[in-house]
Parts: sequence; structure tokens; C-alpha cells
Amino acid sequence: MIVVVSLVISVIFGAGVFLVLQRDLLRVVVGIVLISNSANLFIIAAGLSRGRAPIYPLSDGDLEAAGVSDPLVQAMALTAIVISFSVAALLLALVYRLYASHGTSASKISPRPRCARPRVWRRRAPQSARRSPRRNRKR
Amino acid sequence: MTGSALLTLSASLPWTFAAVLALVDGRRPWAGWLAVASLGASLAALVWLTFAVLRDGPVEVVAGGWPEDVGITLRADALGLTFAVVSVGVILVSLLYEVVNGVRSRTFPAVVLFMAAGLSGLFLTGDVFNFYVFFEISMTAAYILASYREQDHQVRAAFIFAVINLLGSVIFLIGIAALYHVTGSLDMRTIAERIGSVEPNSVIAIAAAIFVAFCLKLGLFPFHFWLPAVYVGSHPPVAAILSGALANIGGYGLLRFGGGILPEELELGSSAVLILGTASIIYGALQAISRRDTSEVLAYSAIGQAGYILIALGVGGPVGFAAAVLYAVVNSLNKSLLFLAAGLRGPMVGAAFAVGAFSVVGVPPAGGFLGKIALFKASLAAATISTSVALVTLVFLGGALSFLYSFQIYQRRFMAPRPEGKPSNPGARALMISLAAFVLAVGVWPQPLLHVCEAAASVLIGGSA
Repeated sequence: MIVVVSLVISVIFGAGVFLVLQRDLLRVVVGIVLISNSANLFIIAAGLSRGRAPIYPLSDGDLEAAGVSDPLVQAMALTAIVISFSVAALLLALVYRLYASHGTSASKISPRPRCARPRVWRRRAPQSARRSPRRNRKR
Repeated sequence: MTGSALLTLSASLPWTFAAVLALVDGRRPWAGWLAVASLGASLAALVWLTFAVLRDGPVEVVAGGWPEDVGITLRADALGLTFAVVSVGVILVSLLYEVVNGVRSRTFPAVVLFMAAGLSGLFLTGDVFNFYVFFEISMTAAYILASYREQDHQVRAAFIFAVINLLGSVIFLIGIAALYHVTGSLDMRTIAERIGSVEPNSVIAIAAAIFVAFCLKLGLFPFHFWLPAVYVGSHPPVAAILSGALANIGGYGLLRFGGGILPEELELGSSAVLILGTASIIYGALQAISRRDTSEVLAYSAIGQAGYILIALGVGGPVGFAAAVLYAVVNSLNKSLLFLAAGLRGPMVGAAFAVGAFSVVGVPPAGGFLGKIALFKASLAAATISTSVALVTLVFLGGALSFLYSFQIYQRRFMAPRPEGKPSNPGARALMISLAAFVLAVGVWPQPLLHVCEAAASVLIGGSA
């Protein structure tokens, strides 16, 4: 079983890495979601065992003997899922914000950090203004 | 007040007020001042707790009144408290700066408080998974803060920051799950006890994953690529919070996980750690010299300064760990002073900036001198003589290079005549002067800080034994 799980984890992780390296921001977000989910699977795999559901009034005192599966990894995975969900929502909001300000489809916005010349960037006028003839004459 | 009550108070105060302030409009002055007051109260509780811990030893609280091994532990020791006090202090100064200048977004005070809550929880927890949760809370707050003011380039920077750091968080989470798998526990102390009997190969892989995750947060040389993109465009208080408070996660994590939980692996990889630190220092300083924009120079300087922490960590032992803690503390004070002062103009701002610059260089009256001296001590304590000589040379060289770039910025930013400049808000300038005075005071009366750092390092040595 552990071989199958690790194969699944590696395929999901690889697909996520492939998507993160794309230029389209939405694909980057989907890639991040996939990578976070592969980490969630990894957590589950860290305590993978077949057993009864760990519901509190246990019949036996000794957990190992009772054949109860590990509840801790499930709690951790649940927490990690909530965190990755909220961060994915935040990332989507950022992408939407960039989409709205550029007025183009998200695929045309490159995630390239143009940090070398921030001033040029800041002065960049909105597209409608740049296209106007007067502006061009000034240049 | 007892230690456990103080611990609960300092961990829960920012939470409560962050939740309350999330509902109100943060642009109103009273909301900003309420955030400042609650953060100040939480800082006071942390300082009080530090005194109590230094006097009586570590304080532990098991959340929810569960028995010792079942519940989640909050543990306040000297190491965590040092980092918590510095980080919350830096956040408080930056928040005060922004409130004095006028907050421009509804959510700013609440997000800053959430970040303080996440950071103080992270430094005070004794459970690795809780560490991850608090870490993610403060990182999420940081992603939102990086896009503060919502200029196009700031949102873009926030996106880059979020994607890169999420990858780091996932690697860290995988490391934690693997630690749980090999030791069967999430409690830091239990893991440290059991890790010795685990097969070494798997522990080395885990240690490498955790090391990479924290180096990414700290912005060290091969993992630094996101850092200039984020720091350059961001608003001065946000840059100060990111470099002065959030980067402490990296330093603290490397100390806690490397020094406290995985000491053998740290020793095994010490030469790699030293080489990465050296590369960071030289690369950061050279890049900083070649740049012209103030915030860009400071961003590259942050990469270089993080390298010193790594070097002290690589040397290890009580001297090395104490130097790492001391350098991390002094560095976050310097960075916040420089980033905040660079955003202002008017009389006395240049003086405050100069104090910060002298402190980065390590000139005696300023606090940075202590960090440099501690690094010299750590270099002399290195294993072989050739390593010691190389490290001492490196610290000298790094200091000389940082002198160059610090005063290049000073010259461009403050000595050039600026006819169009209107002096900034006097409150913000007074704040900068008092922060500069604090940096000087730390340098003039170093005894308390040195004592705290030694206590913090002894926590790690005690934990690894």
C-alpha cells in the first residue's frame, strides 16, 4: 500500500511543480494547490495503518492491541487542508486583482519579477493612456 | 502574576484584538491606536514573562488542561522569548509608524496583529505541528501585508512572495510529517530524545528538508531570489516587518530545529552551512554595492546579513549559538531602523539612518558592534585554525563591504539636496530617533542582551544533551 501511496504523491507533486513553472498565473495557483495536497497525502502516509475508527470510548485500554488507526495524522491533514484552502483563496484573490488591473487575460501576465527597475514600472501609465496619440508625441 | 498566566495572556492578547479589529474599519485613528495599545500590552506581558523565565526557568502550559503527553504544549524558554520580544517589538514600532502616518487600508491593523499573534505563538510553542500552524498564520498575514497599498507591483510582489514561500512551507510540512513518522511524536522535547535511535539516513533527509525550508524564509544565498522582488516595492513599514520580524522565523527555526532537535545532523552538515553562509555574505554585499535604489540595496544587504547568522550556526556550540541569537536580534533591529528611516525625509532622519548604517557595519557605539564581536568569538571557537582564519577574514571583509554600501545609500539618499522634499510627519521622525537611540543604548549597555543570549544558547545545549 505504501508504494502505491508514494507513487500517487510523487505524481501529484510532479504535476504541481510542472504547473508552478508555467507562465499563466492561474496554472501557478492550481500547481500550488496540487503541491499542498501532495503534502497532505504525505502526512496521511506518515501514519498509514489499517484499523478501526479512533472514536473515543475505546473498548480496550491498549491502543496497539485494539487495532485502532492513527488519529493524529488525520487531525494534522485536516488542519493542513484548511490552511492550504485559505491560502489558495488568497492567491486567487491576488490573481484576480492583477487580472482586473491589467484588463487582459491572466495568461498574458508574466510572473517575472521585474525588480531591477521598479521606478520605470511605477511610472507606467494605464494602457488606454499609453495608446493615446498625445502621449506618443511627447515621447 | 504567575508564569503560566502570563504565557497564556501574551499568546492570546493579539488574537483577541485581531479578531475584534478585523470587524472595524482600520483606517479610523482609534482602531489603529487600539491595535498599538494591545500590541504594547502583549509586548509588556512578554517582557515580564522573560524576566520570570530568566529567574525561575522555563514555563509550560498544556492547552485545554489535557494531561502532559496528550495535549499541545506551549513552552516559554529564553530562546523563544528573546525572538518573540524582538519580533513583537519590531512589529509594534512599524505599526506605530504607519498609524502616525495614516493607515490606508481597512485591514492593516488587524493583519498586523494576526501576524504578531502567529509569531508569538510560533516562538512559544513546544509542538512541531503547532509550529507549522502558527508559521502559516504569520506567513498568510505577511502575504496580505506585502500587497498593502495595492499598487500593481506590490500585488505582483505579494504573488511571488506567496508562491515561493508556500513551496517552502510545503517542504517544511513534509519534514514535520517525516519527523512524526520516524519518532512517533510531535512534541519537540520527545522528538529530540528519540531522534538519536532513528536510522541516520532518514534523519539526514529530514534535516535537509527542514534546512531548505528555513533558508528559504531567511533568504539565504541559493534561495534568495524572491527577496529583492518583494522588499523593493513594498511600503517601508511592511518591509521593516518582513525583514525585521518575519525573517526571524528562519533564524529561530534553524536554531531550534538545527541546534535543539537535530544537533548531530547540524554538526555533520556544518561545512555546507559555513559555505552557504559565506556565499550569502559575499554575494549579498557585492550585489548591494552594485545597486542604486535604497530599498534594493537594503534587500541585498538583508541576504548578506542572514549569512552571518548561518556562519554562527555552523560553528555551533554555546559560543556559536549565542552569537547566532545575538546577531539575529541586532540584525532585526538594524533592518527595521534602516527600512523605516529610508522612507522618511526631514531633519534628524539622516542621523537615525546613520546610526542604523553604523550598526550594520559594526562600529562600536551602535548595537551591531556586539553582533560582530560575538561573531569574532564564534570564529575563533571554530574547529580548526584554518577555518578560524577564513571566518575572521570573512567577517572583516563583509564589514568593509557593508561599510561601502551603507554609506553609498546615505550619500545618495540624505546628502544630495532634495528641493521638492517636504519633511515627514514629526511623530514618525521622533519614533525613528527613539529607535536609533535604542540601538545605541543596546551598544552602550550590552550586559542584559548578552545575558539573555547566553541563556538562550544554553537552552539549546541543554536540549541536545
